[in-house]
Amino acid sequence: MSLASIVDWDALLTVVWASVAAGVGVTAAYGFVILGTTRALELGRQGRAAEALLFAVVGAVGIVAVIGAIALGIVVLSE
Amino acid sequence: MEGELLTVIIVVATALAFDFTNGFHDTANVVATSISTRAMAPRIAVGYAAILNFAGAFISLQVAATVASDVVDPGSITLLVVFGGLIGAIAWNLITWYFGLPSSSSHALIGGIVGAMLVAEGPDAIFFGEGIVGKVMVPAVVAPILAFLVGGVTILLLYRIVGSLRPAPVNGGFRGGQVVSGGLLALAHGTNDAQKTMGVIALALVAYGSLPAGDPTPPFWVVVSAAAAIALGTYAGGWRIIKTMGSRIHKMDSAQGFAAQGAGAAVILASSHGGFPLSTTHTISGAVIGSGAAKRLSAVRWGVAGNIVAAWVLTLPAAAGIGAMTYGVTRAFGTGAAGPVIVSLAILAGSAYLFMKRAQQNVGAPAASEA
Repeated sequence: MSLASIVDWDALLTVVWASVAAGVGVTAAYGFVILGTTRALELGRQGRAAEALLFAVVGAVGIVAVIGAIALGIVVLSE
Repeated sequence: MEGELLTVIIVVATALAFDFTNGFHDTANVVATSISTRAMAPRIAVGYAAILNFAGAFISLQVAATVASDVVDPGSITLLVVFGGLIGAIAWNLITWYFGLPSSSSHALIGGIVGAMLVAEGPDAIFFGEGIVGKVMVPAVVAPILAFLVGGVTILLLYRIVGSLRPAPVNGGFRGGQVVSGGLLALAHGTNDAQKTMGVIALALVAYGSLPAGDPTPPFWVVVSAAAAIALGTYAGGWRIIKTMGSRIHKMDSAQGFAAQGAGAAVILASSHGGFPLSTTHTISGAVIGSGAAKRLSAVRWGVAGNIVAAWVLTLPAAAGIGAMTYGVTRAFGTGAAGPVIVSLAILAGSAYLFMKRAQQNVGAPAASEA
């Protein structure tokens, strides 16, 4: 009986990639939320509207990604 | 039958007491990061964690299925084996708590059940290969390392993304994020840890004859009671933390806290979905150490990491030994309720003695700093 045959490698690999995707992906997306909102506010105060809008979009995409990923994760878990 | 009913009531009560102590013991792991970075006030963090621990227990039953079906043969289980296993886990948790050693309640529980089963039915009733090694031991090693790596990569990435910004909005942003990541960590903790108790109660119900050995899915009342026990334990443990906060938790920045909580939650939730009953304590520790090591290697208390490794090696065999011994003692009083009643009274007396001795040692002692 070898380790290769007694471990459910498929399930374990799923845990690894899901952890990396959720752990790194969601937290990085939240980093972009902070980057986008902070820069958008700063640039808005300086009157640079076009650049502020661009960063606001980055922040908005980030928050949608975070909320979407968490919702998807909970749905998958409860299935 | 009346004797058996009393025994099953004692076993279920012991399992719920174990669940309560699990929540009590693990509150610090779940809320310390949020409190340390001042993302949340202690009272709010503890109440929030307790509520999400409760909710997390309802998310899935995969881990409960593993504990009930894949560790020992449910067809050979008896109430005294489950009782012996639970006492083995509780006794080992008490011993490690008294001596200040890091310990995994989850590994202690599985070790206790395996030890009691080994003495009761022999090695054929234990699923060593696919069960113990495949579903417990290998994930026990993989999960903290994975959490360490995810925590480390995440914090490096976050520093790169927000590194050019002013610190004030960044810290404020990550503190806000910690409300979500801390909540997810509490949810993950409730999901994985409460399910272990559900699995053990399911084994007791199989032994009692009210659940089939072929499909020991825990009934709803088991899910609710396990969820409530871990949530109450978390809340009770939190009050102890609130009282002793201040100097006891070391500082980390809010980005590190966010990265550690996110990494820990991701690994625990993914493992729960895979049905792996891992140590949430070790996984959260791995994520915290990873987020610290990525910033500065010397910021990490490597001694704590070494103690965790030592606990990995010790917990399963030690809890198994105590579980086996407890089964032997309990069985000496017959198969009725006498053994569990006497052992329960003995463990209560032993716990009270250890708590009193610990309290006496703490009087006048300066507060020690701990991670």
